[in-house]
Amino acid sequence: MAKDPLAEAGLHFDELNKLRVLEPEVGQKTTELKEECKEFVDKIGQFQKIVGGLIELVDELAKEAETEKMKAIGARNLLKSVAKQREAQQMQLQALIAEKKMQLERYRIEYEALSKVEAEQSEFIDQFILQK
Amino acid sequence: MLCHVTCLATVAVLFNDGTHKELVSSVGWTTPDELFSCSEDHQIFRWNLLTNETTLVVRLPDDLYPVDLHWFPKTVGGKKQGLAEIFVLTSTDGKFHLGSKTGRIEKSVEAHRGAVMAGRWNYDGTALITAGEDGQIKIWSKSGMLRSTLAQQASPVYAVAWGPDSDRILYTSGKQLVIKPLQPSAKVLQWKAHDGVILKVDWSSVNDLILSGGEDCKYKVWDSYGRLLYSSSSHDYPITSVAWAPDGELLAVGSFNTLRLCDKTGWSYALEKPNTGSVFSVAWSADGTQLAGACGNGHVIFAHVVEQRWEWKNFEITLTKRRTMQVRNVLNDAVDVLEFRDRVIKASLSHDHLVVTTSLQCYVYSTQNWNTPLIFDLKEGSVSLILQAERHFLLVDGAGVYVYSYEGRLVSTPRFPGMRSDILNAQTASLSNDTVAIRDKTDQKVIFLFEALTGKALGDGKPLTHKMEVVEIALDQCGAASDRKIALIDKNRDLYLTSVRRLGREDKTNKIGTMVHTMAWNDSANILCGIQDVRFTVWYYPNAVFVDSDLLPKTLCTTPPQPQGLTSPPPHPAPTGEFSRTPHILNYVGTQVTVRRADGSLVYSTVSPYPALLHEYAGSARWADALRLCRFAKDQTLWACLAAMAMANRELTTAEVAYAAIGEVDKVQYINSIKELPSRESALAHMLLFSGHVQEAESTLLQAGLVYQAIQVHINLYNWDRALELAVKHRTHVDTVLAHRHKFLQDFSKQETNKRFLQYSEGVEVDWEKIQAKIQMELAKERERSATTSVRSSVASRR
Repeated sequence: MAKDPLAEAGLHFDELNKLRVLEPEVGQKTTELKEECKEFVDKIGQFQKIVGGLIELVDELAKEAETEKMKAIGARNLLKSVAKQREAQQMQLQALIAEKKMQLERYRIEYEALSKVEAEQSEFIDQFILQK
Repeated sequence: MLCHVTCLATVAVLFNDGTHKELVSSVGWTTPDELFSCSEDHQIFRWNLLTNETTLVVRLPDDLYPVDLHWFPKTVGGKKQGLAEIFVLTSTDGKFHLGSKTGRIEKSVEAHRGAVMAGRWNYDGTALITAGEDGQIKIWSKSGMLRSTLAQQASPVYAVAWGPDSDRILYTSGKQLVIKPLQPSAKVLQWKAHDGVILKVDWSSVNDLILSGGEDCKYKVWDSYGRLLYSSSSHDYPITSVAWAPDGELLAVGSFNTLRLCDKTGWSYALEKPNTGSVFSVAWSADGTQLAGACGNGHVIFAHVVEQRWEWKNFEITLTKRRTMQVRNVLNDAVDVLEFRDRVIKASLSHDHLVVTTSLQCYVYSTQNWNTPLIFDLKEGSVSLILQAERHFLLVDGAGVYVYSYEGRLVSTPRFPGMRSDILNAQTASLSNDTVAIRDKTDQKVIFLFEALTGKALGDGKPLTHKMEVVEIALDQCGAASDRKIALIDKNRDLYLTSVRRLGREDKTNKIGTMVHTMAWNDSANILCGIQDVRFTVWYYPNAVFVDSDLLPKTLCTTPPQPQGLTSPPPHPAPTGEFSRTPHILNYVGTQVTVRRADGSLVYSTVSPYPALLHEYAGSARWADALRLCRFAKDQTLWACLAAMAMANRELTTAEVAYAAIGEVDKVQYINSIKELPSRESALAHMLLFSGHVQEAESTLLQAGLVYQAIQVHINLYNWDRALELAVKHRTHVDTVLAHRHKFLQDFSKQETNKRFLQYSEGVEVDWEKIQAKIQMELAKERERSATTSVRSSVASRR
């Protein structure tokens, strides 16, 4: 086959018969590659953006989780201390109740004594009336 | 004594603004309305309760951590101190500081190694005592010069207190309490008091009781001999502070978030649970109405004593607020509210009158009319005791004792040298319509007696001296002033009765009971009630002991131990001492006795109304009525009372009947023989003999010139020496005496050994016939004489 002398010199014509240094095929492929590369870079960029957003979100979530965790621990501790507080309160109330109980016992004894006095007095009155 | 406080509660007020940043370590009152507090934030604050202002007095150096603060005593020996007020402040660096009211630290003295735990002035302000962590106790002069190191021990001393006369101190030694007299040779008393380290102690100057609190979470009350009177149940937290009220009736106890108000016998009136942290120190204001506590959370807590109640007959009075009282008439449920300008300090309700003292005035209400009280100003504000009698009342303050009439007139101011009125209480002072009795503090055997209307000492001015220390006195309330009797309980718990006014008679103090813990006279008749050992006893007619002491046991009414559970053990554990079981009689009004049990409950007991009626009849000489009453009641005790009353009033006919009723035949016979006596004088003499007053009987007879009868009395009593002495002195009947003596010796087949009789028997011939004739002659003479005197008197009466 006869070689294209131009081709040998590294010159080619494309379809529009413009003079080219590269083979039209290669040129085309190069352009294609370029296009593809551009696309790739774009995609990568997009990906980075998405991932960044994701990371941010996760970070936020982590933070929130942390505070929630702290809150939970706090609440748990509070719960424990409330139980203790209740215990203390209960003890105080118990002491007060014991006090009142003692007072009640005193009143009960006083009441009994007074009832006895009443009985004695009515007995005395009855006797007095009978004897008269 | 006659009215009683039934219930108490505290109202707590918390001051939150401007308080200390750190725990408050101690508080001290200067006036009833001004308090100083010191704290670990190096500040001393002054709290004014009238204006509710809090001012910073001083900022102490940063390395000074105060521990204890105590003000110099205000009254010294009844006299008010004119000196600038100073306080002692002890600190953790081993120093104590004397500071003035303005906050200036006048002097700092290096006192101990380690912290100085307590600093206390004695009652007369002549000495200061400090107790240190190094186990030493040191006494300092008023100006801060070291006098001596009183004690030294291996463990820290946490608290110290002065004894009532400032001659002894009480301090802690681990779980033990130690009482050490200042005199080096005197005996030290030491005992194990708590199961944990003792943190605080206090010793009341009024009732001589000791209060201690410790890490075993208990507080205990002791007497000054170290006997346990009360032990509380275990608290939840250690007891961090204790304090006696100035009048010795109440005590305050502080613990973690706890403030408790108790009676002096230990049982609790009220419990408060303020949010304060541990109460490290409590202090009573001088008038005993307010209480301040130093709290662990930097607060200072104030409490007031309210809800006090007084009951008398149908009236019930409650102190509802500090300045308000509510009077309730139980009969018709009528309620009156009494308002006062100042805080109520003391009140007393009895004998139809209510006496209330505030810080400046005294209000006297009649129970008939609650609207218009009689008001007069008081010289000194803090009245510590009110006693009432039917006609007047007695006020006691730091400076003296005053008797006022219910019209508000100052009647008298009894006083004796060395009197300390600030420590008088209802047990050591007594008032009746005509007499004031006060037991001496320095010599507790001595009772000073005063005419209530003049304030002068009774009789020759000599006080009544008992053979033993007296712990309680009480004057009877009724009858004539000349018959006034005083009942007293001595240290051995024996009850004695004696006359207040002695008209030349011999000193006679008669024992009428043993193991008596408490007693009270009736308000309307001279009936005494008391608790003997475990039995409730009523002396219906205590005077019987002076008339016929054999009769006294028959005039008693004793109730067996169980009534109303008077002696059942209180709910608190470990009441070992007998005192803690014994109740206290609060009053005896009409027929009702009110008793406070050891656990604080009130019990009532009724006494038969007949004895009081009998007293009334005897008092107005209605003997026929008295006899009718006894016949109606058919009670041996009552008959015995009547017998004694009749004899006391020389009412022989009634006495004869009464003695017959109780089966005392011998006495009936003797009374009959008295009735047959020819003359009034010898009848009187024999009645005196009946009561055992031989001396007086003799002098009565001799005064009437009845020498023979006097001699015969002694012969009958086998008082040979005195009979002979009289016979020789009056040169008559020597032979009679000798004859009787001879007969007596013969009857018992004995030999004469008495030298005087041997001497006289030599010169005298004994002739029974002659003697009998002489006796007959004497009797005839007496009869004749009494006949003429009676004729004379009847003639005189006819004219």
